[in-house]
Amino acid sequence: MILSDSAKLQISQTATRYPKVRSAILPALHVAYEEHGYLSDQMYEEIAQVLGVKFIEVAEAASFYTMFPKAKRGKYLIQVCRNISCALLGSHHLTTYLLDKLNVGLGEITADGLFTVVEAECLGSCTTAPMMQVNAHYYENLTVEKVDRLIEEFRSQK
Amino acid sequence: METKLLSQFVGDPQQHSIERAIEHGAYQAWQKVLKEIAPADLIQIVKDSGLRGRGGAGFPTGMKWGFVPKETLKPKYLCCNADESEPGTCKDRVLLEGDPHAVVEGMMIASYAIDCHTAFFYIRGEYDVGQVRMSKAIDDAYAKGFLGKNILGSGYDLDIVVHRGGGAYICGEETALLSSLEGDKGLARLKPPFPAVEGLYNCPTIINNVETLANLPHIVMKGAQWFAGLGTEKSKGTRIFSVSGHVKNPGNYELELGYSLRDLVYGLAGGILDDKPLKAIIPGGSSTPLLLPDKIDTKLDFESVAAAGSMLGSGAVIVIHEETCIVWVAEILAHFYMHESCGKCTPCRQGTGWMYEILRRIEAGHGKMEDIDTLLDIADNIEGNTICPLGDAAAVPVISTVKLFRDEYVYHIEHGKCKVRSQFRLRVK
Amino acid sequence: MSDFNITVNGQQVPVTKGQTVLQASLAAGIDIPVFCWHAQLVPVGACRICLVEIEKLPKLQVACATIASEGMIVHTDSPKTIKARQGVLEFILAHHPLDCPTCDKGGECDLQNLTFKYGLDYSRQHEPKHRVIVDANSTFDDLLIGPEIIRNQNRCIHCYRCTRIVDEIAFEDDLGAYQRGYHTEILPPPGREIRNLYSGNVVEYCPVGALTNDDWRYKVRVWLTKQTNVICPHCPDGCNLKLWTFHNKLFRATSNANENIDNGFLCDIGRYGYRYVASADRIKRPMVRRAGELVETGWEEALTFIKKQTDDIKSKLSGSGFFGFIGDIRTNEEIYAFQRLLRRVIGSNNIDHRFHRRRRLTPGEEVISRGIESDNAEYKDIENADVIIVLGSDLHSENPITSLRVKRAVKRHNAKVILLNPLPTPLGKRTATVEVIYKQGTAAVLLHSLIDAMVDLNQFDASAVKLSAADIADFRKANAAYSGVKGSEITGVDVSLVARVAEMLAAAQNVFILAGSYIERDPLRDSLHLAVANLQSFCKSARKIFLPPDSNSVGAAFLGAEPTVLPGRQSWAKKAVCEDLWHGPISDAPGKDTIGILEAIDEDEIECGFVFNADPVRLFPDGEYVRSVMEKLKLLVVIDSFMTDTARFADVILPLSTFAEIEGTRVNWEKRMQYSQRAIPPLHESKPGCQIIELLADRLGVRFNQPNPADVYQEMAKFLPTGAPTIYAGIGKDGFLIRSVAANKPGKLADLRFVAPAIDTEYRFFLLVGNADHHRGALTERNETLMKFTSEPFVGISEADATDLAVSDGDLVKVESKYGRVVGKAMILRDFPSRRVLLPENFGEMSTNVLMGRQDKIDLVRLAKM
Repeated sequence: MILSDSAKLQISQTATRYPKVRSAILPALHVAYEEHGYLSDQMYEEIAQVLGVKFIEVAEAASFYTMFPKAKRGKYLIQVCRNISCALLGSHHLTTYLLDKLNVGLGEITADGLFTVVEAECLGSCTTAPMMQVNAHYYENLTVEKVDRLIEEFRSQK
Repeated sequence: METKLLSQFVGDPQQHSIERAIEHGAYQAWQKVLKEIAPADLIQIVKDSGLRGRGGAGFPTGMKWGFVPKETLKPKYLCCNADESEPGTCKDRVLLEGDPHAVVEGMMIASYAIDCHTAFFYIRGEYDVGQVRMSKAIDDAYAKGFLGKNILGSGYDLDIVVHRGGGAYICGEETALLSSLEGDKGLARLKPPFPAVEGLYNCPTIINNVETLANLPHIVMKGAQWFAGLGTEKSKGTRIFSVSGHVKNPGNYELELGYSLRDLVYGLAGGILDDKPLKAIIPGGSSTPLLLPDKIDTKLDFESVAAAGSMLGSGAVIVIHEETCIVWVAEILAHFYMHESCGKCTPCRQGTGWMYEILRRIEAGHGKMEDIDTLLDIADNIEGNTICPLGDAAAVPVISTVKLFRDEYVYHIEHGKCKVRSQFRLRVK
Repeated sequence: MSDFNITVNGQQVPVTKGQTVLQASLAAGIDIPVFCWHAQLVPVGACRICLVEIEKLPKLQVACATIASEGMIVHTDSPKTIKARQGVLEFILAHHPLDCPTCDKGGECDLQNLTFKYGLDYSRQHEPKHRVIVDANSTFDDLLIGPEIIRNQNRCIHCYRCTRIVDEIAFEDDLGAYQRGYHTEILPPPGREIRNLYSGNVVEYCPVGALTNDDWRYKVRVWLTKQTNVICPHCPDGCNLKLWTFHNKLFRATSNANENIDNGFLCDIGRYGYRYVASADRIKRPMVRRAGELVETGWEEALTFIKKQTDDIKSKLSGSGFFGFIGDIRTNEEIYAFQRLLRRVIGSNNIDHRFHRRRRLTPGEEVISRGIESDNAEYKDIENADVIIVLGSDLHSENPITSLRVKRAVKRHNAKVILLNPLPTPLGKRTATVEVIYKQGTAAVLLHSLIDAMVDLNQFDASAVKLSAADIADFRKANAAYSGVKGSEITGVDVSLVARVAEMLAAAQNVFILAGSYIERDPLRDSLHLAVANLQSFCKSARKIFLPPDSNSVGAAFLGAEPTVLPGRQSWAKKAVCEDLWHGPISDAPGKDTIGILEAIDEDEIECGFVFNADPVRLFPDGEYVRSVMEKLKLLVVIDSFMTDTARFADVILPLSTFAEIEGTRVNWEKRMQYSQRAIPPLHESKPGCQIIELLADRLGVRFNQPNPADVYQEMAKFLPTGAPTIYAGIGKDGFLIRSVAANKPGKLADLRFVAPAIDTEYRFFLLVGNADHHRGALTERNETLMKFTSEPFVGISEADATDLAVSDGDLVKVESKYGRVVGKAMILRDFPSRRVLLPENFGEMSTNVLMGRQDKIDLVRLAKM
């Protein structure tokens, strides 16, 4: 058992809100991701059992969406928006700046386990470009100074 | 110049609380609807108001509601489409975070109009604050008796379920949204049947955009005639425009429909960044054709933008200045559509990737002259031939950039590099 | 029949309302290319190759999903359409490997064919082709995704036929599409294989070489092969197969789609079933027992041996000292000729084809007088039913294609499926609306409780039921001990569950009852048949089918393979017809059935037997007894393709050709007679059945001059109902339905005669015999392909019993009864009820009948860990 009892309870409660339980697959995947920071076949299986849906339905759905990765990530998952509004204001530079600063490749985990940098498509923060999402939070109107400060903050919080 | 109808209170940091929202008039329209207005009359009011969908296609809202079959035993569903993902667009987020109760109230009114008793709020998974605030707003609305069973003694029941997406642009397309809401992959479905007849769980379903719904309380309170008085002859009301890219003051601005692009870009948004010359504007999100500077006086309403050769779309105005390589712009957008294609139908699945690969090659300096015509032909083979509009959307930036900036493509291929510098660096401060 | 016309390419095309543009056009002979569309699948419009131009519509439309409407003007070859079609082909080919020379699909590939027809002869694609690399050290990107299926993702064109077949048709979940966009990948779920019973269909309907079969792979090029159309010999569903041969070798079987029956889908048993034909275990030459050993010999020697021995016995015992058994998988012609040999040449009416049952082989008077037998019903009637009862049948394993029809009824119009079984079956959860598990041997009581509950609901349609209130009241009174709580105590089925099923039945408009092997093999079979007929009386428009055990059981019963009935189910009074046709007298001595025959051997009244492709030693439910009896025979002639358990007792074995080596007709459960072609000449020194029978008859004194099935058929056809084709050429694709005239006589309700099975404290487990996954009957154990799915027998037990006995999966377990014991590896079955043991009957190394006693009503065993 990987998912906690409270996670399973949350999943089964969510399911009652939908006319058909299959609809609760995405919410369940969110619950599992929030608890573990990644997903696994075992979690799919447990979700399928809690909801009474087929394993394959969970596995197929999870593979389609970007928010349910199977790979483990750093404690801080930095997603840099690469789309047009951000790109026009230097997001590509932001990505390379972060990779250089953290000495890590795209999608990899830093040696201290703290950071993973990935590129993301438009995150809906176009008027405050360039931006990045770190875990659930948006950091907008980024500059070199601001990024430096943020990284320091994350490091100090560990 | 701004007409702050929907965004009147979004600047108030406490507007997301139900107390403050009620102070500002929230849920009055809902109570009025429950007490005074029959569903059929409500649909008529919205028809009369001339309200058109704010998601991108601009379909008349009241007419859409009218497609829901009356004589059916099936339940009917409303879905609020808050899967805002069109590059350049962040106007719904303003409402979700700044005035969630307006959206909740809009959902209530629309649900009532179509006789829906379970409504779904589908929000893109990445919108964390929006999701938290909307969930809280809905919980608070239940606590106040605005949702639930026998609302305010009216005999009408309504539940709203918040559903987070999993990260997929395609789910903003209404049939893919329904697939996703059913727990499936976000695959677009064939139309017909249209969702209004056969949508969620094969039941009649209306999908309305956040901003569309947020207009409803105002229409109910002030009347169809009042709303119809805003905007132009065929484009009523206001729009929240997200102005991004190379402008001095990027931001969301709510304007009555009918102001010009110049008013927005040079007025409210303060003009072009670093006072560089304007190169092009994408007026309605990444899926709309570019406009050249000579179209700067185009009026911002559905018809005028269409006449200028583009679309009002999602109201995302992306401003591009002179020092931008247009091939690079096309490459970025092509990458996006390749990444977001659901993979169900052939032209989109294969074509988006192919266009991206050609654009990447040209941008990298290895283009061939025939690539330009190949690009146009691929785009032509995608456009109109796919299940959902994503394919068409992917074709648009390619066709539009080649048409307007063919010389840049030619230069790129001939010289193996950009005609203009396109390295945008992160500002230090 | 058409409702209106549309115009396609200037041609008037008739349309039945609801048809798509594609369906109407194809029916009118107008070709529109397709990849993702399949007649039996819900259209998804994914591939876009069928885009057509429809006037007044701004965009091209997919013909596969566009419903034709009156006045539509369609163009399938306009410049706009052709450009779009070429565009789609170009998109598909952009990353499709050009490996046709090494691709098994080459020659029968939709993509290859359409590219030749519509495609461009050059490529504008300069980017490197995408590859999904399976093994970095290999240039091939093949991945084995199941016991028999290989995937090459590079060739996949994302038509999703495979995943849709698995989901929509088979109701299975072992193949899916993962990721998105170009990266969409077809795979079984993580950690699993594609191995459902219908898995081979995904290969057959893959329009390209993305999914290929191990059995066919790299062996022969499709254009070199010859195809013959045969009828599957593995179960009574009667699917139509196409056998692909090259130089008289079989290379594969595919569907020869028949909408009456299989809709173009096969189960894996049917698809890979042909592989037993070329098994190395085949009996290659005649064999004769000399000094206790069976040794190979020639045909002439064997026949001479038989002639001499039979003469001796005949002089002593006359014809009644002989018997004949024939297997239900033989053709009508062989069955007919065999019983003629027995009756006319040998002078014995001791003939049977039923070995699975321990008593009441011939229906009792009440069953006969009421005309209780399968109704005249077809596959399409299942599809049209709104409630389908599956009673005492592992329908999934025993009648896989009938199962697909049940699933189709669920898919197409939400038919309700009620499973009433002594054990959970694989048809299970997704298909069934309710799954009721009754205690072994109590099905009749359960059916009675159901009727009683329906009467309680008072919802049945009294006028449709055709029973008076008094009839019903009497009936209830007489059978009160089997109703409600009392019934529930006997059956172990909750009263509320019975009530729920009763409600569903009461509301049904069109009921179909499929009764299977657990009913047919039950010692109380007659009572059960009466109970089924009772239930039928209370259901609206109900039809019932008692599913026959084997592929041609219906034919065997119809063509005289039972002792007291002459061909055409003629009574003895009509024997003059036979004598006339057979040029001589037939015996009036009443024939014995299987049980009578075995007893007569035991009492030395019978000394010689001809066993034609039958294996009573393996099947008769008392292994010890049947073995002891066989040993007593003076002469046992076995005509078979393999060394069966019965053949080991033989004095002479004549090598018999298999289904692929003979032509002939078979009758499926619908009573549909179909013609099966010969695919290859007889292997080794085997001979087709009709030829062997002619040789025997000739040697034993009567020459019929009918060595070929076609000759036999012409005579046999005289016993078929009026209108039946008189020669093979007259049998069309639809075959011929041998409708029953006796079926469905309305009558009073039959009282239940139920005897509760004795409970034994020592032998606490009910023995249930069934099929292992991908096996059916004994032929499959000689099939290399099917053995990949399940290779050995097992002892299936519940999780609770496993815990009780401290047994884990794979542990050796001893199963013992009063009569014998078997040992096998434990297999713990999820959701399996406790106190039951499931043994497969498909493997020679575990003969389940040694655990059974012919006097018992129920089989009880005990279990112990070894």
